[in-house]
Amino acid sequence: MALNLTINTTNPPLGALLAAEHVKDSVKVSVEEGKDTRLHVSDVIQFSDCNSISRYLARVAPALGLYGSNTMEQTEVDHWLEFSAQRLCGNSGLAVALAELDKALSLRTFLVGHSLTLADISVWASLKGHVEWQSQGKSFSHVSRWFFFLNSQVPFSAVGNKYTKKHVPLTKSNSDEK
Amino acid sequence: SQSFSSAALKSPTDLDAVLGKDLGALRDIVVNANPAHPPLSLLVLHGLLCQHYRVLSSVHVHSSVASVPPQLMSCLGPRHPDSYARHMFQLGFTLIWKNVPKVQMKFSIQNMCPIEGEANIARFLYKLLVPYPSDPAVATLVDSWVDTAFFQLAEGSTKERSAVLRALNSALGRSPWVAGSEYSLADMACYCCVMRSGSASAAPANVQRWIKSCENLGHFKPAKMLQ
Repeated sequence: MALNLTINTTNPPLGALLAAEHVKDSVKVSVEEGKDTRLHVSDVIQFSDCNSISRYLARVAPALGLYGSNTMEQTEVDHWLEFSAQRLCGNSGLAVALAELDKALSLRTFLVGHSLTLADISVWASLKGHVEWQSQGKSFSHVSRWFFFLNSQVPFSAVGNKYTKKHVPLTKSNSDEK
Repeated sequence: SQSFSSAALKSPTDLDAVLGKDLGALRDIVVNANPAHPPLSLLVLHGLLCQHYRVLSSVHVHSSVASVPPQLMSCLGPRHPDSYARHMFQLGFTLIWKNVPKVQMKFSIQNMCPIEGEANIARFLYKLLVPYPSDPAVATLVDSWVDTAFFQLAEGSTKERSAVLRALNSALGRSPWVAGSEYSLADMACYCCVMRSGSASAAPANVQRWIKSCENLGHFKPAKMLQ
């Protein structure tokens, strides 16, 4: 089975790209640049939001446990997927959201259970793409520890380096790229 | 599979299978909800849970809320006559009207983080009743509609809402239910959010027909009562 993921490079769906990178040994996902982000599953089923794409990829590679290992963990993953999409986008309330996240991570290596899930992937992706995170990050030590731990792992560093460069706001030095 | 209730009764979900082995203490679901936005889907799911399990339900008001209309105090039904004996129940369901920005759920038994958002709580409660579709595409389609319902239909702008109603209308032109041939949480979420947004009467033809099919199932009374 090969899937086709089209991505809008001005606003790359980092979480979906990371999920695709994690499942690549089970499912082949070919990534193409295009106008709108979209995962083509069949002629009738296509997913265009990052969380749906991530959910689908986690479900076609169940052995990896990216969606948690039981109903309670699945529910926690759902919670963090919404948290990453609703609370960590935009600038209002970011500090409040980061404080909550910091509390949740205070005694944990991963957000849900004892291994990597979509929760880590989606929250990491939202912070990675967030302009304010770098300036606010220092105040939240547990989030920072967790963020840089993931940041140094191969799929995260690879996807981060490849897709976040285009996120840098236009300044004099790179405005010629426009 | 035409009727959700009969399908669910055919293969009742075993709580131990979904939640892990019962360790003796009552599994208690505590929901904090803002009376300004009653979580209709959770009230509907509570009604269904009561049909399948022995549920000990109670409603409380937090001090952050000045007063709560009587229909919100009685929305989980009358107090159970056996409510003094917690061991006779399989599930506790405590609803607290509280001034919270988003609906929250705490599940007392497992070491689980507080769950925020009506969509996510609905997913959890639904899984206590019926297993999610096993096909990854259908399961994700259900989740995608659930998000669309709560974020765009219930909370979105007028423009977003009409776009969703159009998409819903074309989905319901292809199949009897929102996510295909089977009734699912997608239908429950969309129905409750169409009701909450007050757009039922102005909805396009397929949506109107589907609203009637949903109402024929008989389990949406709690959502209707609070309109």
